[in-house]
Amino acid sequence: MGYAAARGGLSAIKSAEDLVARLRDNDPSNRLDIDQFTGRLRLLVDRVMGEAGLWAPEFAAMALRQAEGDVIEAVHLLRAYKSTLPRFAVAQVLDADDIDPERRVVPAFREPGGPQILGRSTDYTARMLKPDTRADEFTTDDAAQREVSSTEVVTTVATPEMRRMSDVLRDMDLLVDRRMATDPEPFDITRMPAKPPAPRSARLSTMARAETGALINQWYRNILGPDGYLHEVTLGEVRHGSLPITTTHPATGNEVTIGQFRVTEVEAIEDLDGVEEDRGSFDVGYGMCLGHNERKAIAMANLDIACHRDGSKSSLEQSILMTTDGLDSAGFLEHLKLPHYVTFRSMVERKVAVRRARTARTTDEMTDEMEVQS
Amino acid sequence: MSTAEMSMADMTSLAAIRVAEPVVRVRNLGKVYGPFDEGSLARTGPGVGTARDSRTGSIVAAWNVNFDVAAGEALGIVGESGSGKSTVLRCIAGDQAATTGDVRFQCHDDGASNILDLDPATRRRLRVDKVSVVYQDAAEGLALGVTAGGNIADPLTAAGWRNFGRIRERAAELLARTEVPLDRMDDIVRNFSGGMRQRVQIARALANNPPILLLDEPTTGLDASVAAGVLDLIRRLLEELDLAVVVVSHDFAVIEMLTQRCIVMQHGRVVEDALTDQLLEDPQHPYSQKLVAAARA
Amino acid sequence: MTSIAELTGPPQATPFALLDEESKREIRRALLQAVATPGYQVPFGSREMPVARGWGSGGLQISLAIVGRHDVVKVIDQGDDEGVNAVNLRRLISSSTNTEETTEVNEATIVQSRHRIPEDAMEEDHILVLQVPVPEPLRGVERDMKELARMHAEADYSKMWVSLYEDKVRNGVITQTTGYPCLVAGRYVTATTPIPRWDIPRLHQSEFLTLFGAGREKRVYAIPPHTDVEPLTFDDVPFEVESADGASCRLCGSNESFLVESPGDTPTWACSDTAFCRRRRTK
Repeated sequence: MGYAAARGGLSAIKSAEDLVARLRDNDPSNRLDIDQFTGRLRLLVDRVMGEAGLWAPEFAAMALRQAEGDVIEAVHLLRAYKSTLPRFAVAQVLDADDIDPERRVVPAFREPGGPQILGRSTDYTARMLKPDTRADEFTTDDAAQREVSSTEVVTTVATPEMRRMSDVLRDMDLLVDRRMATDPEPFDITRMPAKPPAPRSARLSTMARAETGALINQWYRNILGPDGYLHEVTLGEVRHGSLPITTTHPATGNEVTIGQFRVTEVEAIEDLDGVEEDRGSFDVGYGMCLGHNERKAIAMANLDIACHRDGSKSSLEQSILMTTDGLDSAGFLEHLKLPHYVTFRSMVERKVAVRRARTARTTDEMTDEMEVQS
Repeated sequence: MSTAEMSMADMTSLAAIRVAEPVVRVRNLGKVYGPFDEGSLARTGPGVGTARDSRTGSIVAAWNVNFDVAAGEALGIVGESGSGKSTVLRCIAGDQAATTGDVRFQCHDDGASNILDLDPATRRRLRVDKVSVVYQDAAEGLALGVTAGGNIADPLTAAGWRNFGRIRERAAELLARTEVPLDRMDDIVRNFSGGMRQRVQIARALANNPPILLLDEPTTGLDASVAAGVLDLIRRLLEELDLAVVVVSHDFAVIEMLTQRCIVMQHGRVVEDALTDQLLEDPQHPYSQKLVAAARA
Repeated sequence: MTSIAELTGPPQATPFALLDEESKREIRRALLQAVATPGYQVPFGSREMPVARGWGSGGLQISLAIVGRHDVVKVIDQGDDEGVNAVNLRRLISSSTNTEETTEVNEATIVQSRHRIPEDAMEEDHILVLQVPVPEPLRGVERDMKELARMHAEADYSKMWVSLYEDKVRNGVITQTTGYPCLVAGRYVTATTPIPRWDIPRLHQSEFLTLFGAGREKRVYAIPPHTDVEPLTFDDVPFEVESADGASCRLCGSNESFLVESPGDTPTWACSDTAFCRRRRTK
């Protein structure tokens, strides 16, 4: 396989493409079906959709299969695919309280309004690797052993009186009121790049599509972690469930629900203790992302309120807006593999020039000394 | 009437008026932090004993400050910490936004416009060659990671200097004048002692021959002997150059050495305005008397 | 917006030049603004492309936005038409537009390039599209984006001048390698992408238009023809291009082109611009 200076760059590329496709598609194991991804690797599919900013489970699955499991590569495929799709409608504004929850946890209160639903989570399961290949099958025998009947394995519950914690705090007059009188258009980061100081909607959309690991790292470094910061954070809401999408029918002009999608939503309650803040109140940060990705939504909510409190004084907002996109960071990182021999040649040349200047300077100094001595 | 139509006598009196026009003219300068109503003024000041309005929580850091400074003249602003003296200097420098006031510089628009109304970009440009500041903390006035020569190259290049050799010459000249050893010209300022850093600050401040120089506690925090050397340097420079200078200090020794007139501030207000010699000999206001007595002790 | 009728018909072919019309129009609008304010970085809604960020997605978007059916496209990387990245970009452009490809400058109308300006002279019919990794020339002296915006807005480049002074004092020469900062039309300091200093004089008062695309950082900028492009340096410190101490290309003998080195006991040199080199050999 050739590289930069070889002739036949096109044939080199084609050979590489063929090799990738052949080894991937002709692997002796069974070919993966799309529903194996959506059914048995749902969290991976959800993560890809979240980072691509596109709800399309089957396409995310296809991308993962084509990318041989490389998450960032799959996200790239999905986003590039999105670039070819026309925008043909805009959804109505969603009310997050319309969520049909599969899971709802409120760490701030023991008895919040409405139920706490542990739901489908491994949070309190012992992390024990089960090497037996059939161990991941849940059988009715297992259920009998645990004295759990199938009707008690609850995944969705209709809950009319689930009160949002920020509303509860507001009623208790403990919440800083940041509601706006106006209703500005949200900043569209896919049409115009955001830069600090940016409106909150730009921050939130950037984080909704951010690379999950990047946000976790930002959280660990800037919010709560061994690197020095200590924000007093308590979570008010951690929800996972589905929301309906409604839009205006282009022909009839009526409101029509065209489908539903799943989100993870988090509200983080921040204990205000800053010099210019109201110590007698709380403030709330918000996070929401596509699919089931609690780490990301929690990090997002904490970083949202941290940016607001910081007020652009530090580089936190710039760091979040500019360094958390997975495609930007990974793409730029990997571009180092491209030929750089022209730039390198220029650097070598300057090194020679610096050494020459040094020699000339030393010679001058020596000549001056000799003149002085003589 | 145009200068062409003026008589010789007119032009002479006009010239006389021009010479008498102050280089810096400050009227009604005020700075308040926080919400502020008419009562705030009555609830703060030397009479009340605080700059903080107990009702609104606002701080009247400075109010109703007036003075002129002519070319070749140095005015002192003296008071304890919290008196508002540094606030006044920072409002004139543009480091802080004043709440109210009318400040004129002869070197800008012939003194016809209020500096405080200028947009931030224009105010920043004044700092290149019209107004320079020497801060108590050299880290505020210098880039610590840059060489002494580089810190002087900064205002020179901002003023359009583009010849490396001449920039070096001018920097060397200024460093020689401020008694910084020339073999340290290419050392980064972080490696300099406090006294040396102040000298580099002064050299940098004078780079573009500004008509106005503001000094905020220029020797506070330095060892006594080092401070004495820097003060002596400043005194000699003020004698040689035709600058309009404002010196802020809590230390009467500094005020005495450098200034001809001074104002005394307490809790944000000016309590006395006199010739420096007269103030030290015969202070009128009880607070001035207390300060002078303490200094003499 | 697209209508239901369009969507319920048979599937559309990929649009001309990969991007939909609205996206192309948006990029062209940004480019027009860039040409109107030479050297100023214009933000634009950079689309995700089939090439990764950092691999020419910005240059690609520009080429796709300006290319017409009668254009002839040349794409080089480090001066080489056969560099794999150049090949990849070129086939993306030509397959989505059915335009002709060429390796010869005098046949091309659009030249997209990474890190080089072709040695052969370009005329007023040429558009040069340069791929830009870092569009911000002041990033080495300032990190805060709000402060950077202010510095450009107020033409306050003092931090840049101080860094050039310090460089010369510390090293005896100005040691900027590629992407040398230049003052464009006497107003904006601009990052000339990592093109070598050798190529910078070609930008000054050029006959051709140069467009710069930074896809990852989401900005475009331009140097129109007949524009002053002055590398930042002191009056008495000459701007130095890369010298090879009299070396010449082992293939064509040129010592008037930018040469790259093959290291070894006896290093050999060759033209980085392969098309230029090949033409010299076949003359």
